[in-house]
Amino acid sequence: MFQTTLALFGISIQKQLETRSEFLFERIRALSILISLYFLWNAVFSGRTTVMGYTQVQMMTYLFLMTFLRALVLACVTDRIPSEISRGKISEILLKPLSHMKYWAVQDIANKSLHLISSSVELLIILFIIPYPLLGPVDLQGFLAFLVAVLGGMILYFQMSYALGVMGFWTAQSWGPRFCFEIVLEFCAGAFFPIDVLPLVAQKILMFTPFPYLVYYPVMLYLGKGTPTLFLQIFSAQIFWILFLGLTLKWLWHKGLKFYGAEGG
Amino acid sequence: MKMLQFYLHVWFRLVMNSFKTQMATPLGSVGYLIGKLLRIGFFLGYLTALFGKVPILNGYGAPEIVLFFMTFNLIDVGGQFLFRGIYGIKSLIEEGDFDKYLTQPVHLLFRISVMGTDFLDLLTLVPIFFFIGWAFVRLPGPIDPINIIAYVLLLMNAIIISYAFHVMVGALSVKTQEVESAIWIYRDVMSLGRFPVSIYNDFMRIVFITVVPIGVMVSFPAQALLKKMTLPLMIYAFILGLSVHFLAQMIWRRTLKSYSSNSG
Repeated sequence: MFQTTLALFGISIQKQLETRSEFLFERIRALSILISLYFLWNAVFSGRTTVMGYTQVQMMTYLFLMTFLRALVLACVTDRIPSEISRGKISEILLKPLSHMKYWAVQDIANKSLHLISSSVELLIILFIIPYPLLGPVDLQGFLAFLVAVLGGMILYFQMSYALGVMGFWTAQSWGPRFCFEIVLEFCAGAFFPIDVLPLVAQKILMFTPFPYLVYYPVMLYLGKGTPTLFLQIFSAQIFWILFLGLTLKWLWHKGLKFYGAEGG
Repeated sequence: MKMLQFYLHVWFRLVMNSFKTQMATPLGSVGYLIGKLLRIGFFLGYLTALFGKVPILNGYGAPEIVLFFMTFNLIDVGGQFLFRGIYGIKSLIEEGDFDKYLTQPVHLLFRISVMGTDFLDLLTLVPIFFFIGWAFVRLPGPIDPINIIAYVLLLMNAIIISYAFHVMVGALSVKTQEVESAIWIYRDVMSLGRFPVSIYNDFMRIVFITVVPIGVMVSFPAQALLKKMTLPLMIYAFILGLSVHFLAQMIWRRTLKSYSSNSG
């Protein structure tokens, strides 16, 4: 099984590098967001030492980490599932010695690996051009918690994105809801601005959704803003959402397969 | 006059065709529309929250920043509404329709540009105009009619530059059949104009006013309304707009001359 997974991983990397321009432009998009927000926050901090509880160094660290996590957590390839279903290609995948979800999970890991390498190189180049003193991890405990939270965020986002892909069993137009989802996600996950910029009520509402556990809270752990209570809250929320989405996915998959008519297959 | 009537007729027919195509996928189209409205709403929400804590940003208050942001959206959405058809050149060439359009008695660029007109973009323009009006009545000091005229003229200039970029991307697509990437670069670079170019450093500002003129397209109109625009800079903006337009037309004509049918 390990050999199969490894082979699929290699093929996925090669396949994704076939569409290099697509990959390249995804990266350009991430960089354009970083550049505009970098200058925006520089302007915000002009003549101020702290804004909304952040020092300038903390905010810039947030920005760079956010860009890194956009590549690592929010990159995915499961948006291709609906077209795979509508063209009947999924029938072929169902015959493979790997479950459909595992098949896409491997593709997703391959995609994230490419984004991880690419974003690391980009951020190093940018930091070379604009040498900015970023914060290192505050303590080992916080850093380990950050890594675990990032892993949780990756699983969570994969599940959400996969669930949207499986919607392709019922409609060939799932690109519309997916576009909506991605917009909501970017803003509610803290992938543009930190969530604590928002009023307290909005922050409290967002806490009951899975979004802030993808980018915002992991970065908070890195920045050392996590109290033991926050640690507990983040991990219990991630575990809850992973279990909840896991069960929902199982249900959706069975319902979807029953509905599937193998059109075009 | 007859020519204008003819083109209006063609425009209306193509736009209706495009609308019917979109209505064939209502979930996708409406989802896309809601997504665009949400993006504007979320950005505004965050900017409002930010201005609750930081009242002045780079010398601008909340209404001025909203004006810059909405002007960016107006040009971005306006460009998409008017010229979206150019995004489809690749498939036109692959399927042989491009050759068919070359033989039709309508200007080719007009034919291609308007065939993808998205009526739903018009709905996106409603909140954009609303917030431009909201910002306008809250701007400090009285605004002279001349500033409003300058704003409108510079907006038109921005649409001309946007059209020129779309035409250049179209030409690139005819040559290489690679359009998605180029159009996304254009859209991503444009997004740097969400905020006033004055927040960027000197080097970036010069780049945004000369090489990649998003400053001329997005910031100049808003600056004109805020009385922060000089006459020489306005003249420069119009000369740049016309130059880019003629350059794009020249590139397009040359590309067509070297085009040899790819399919059909």
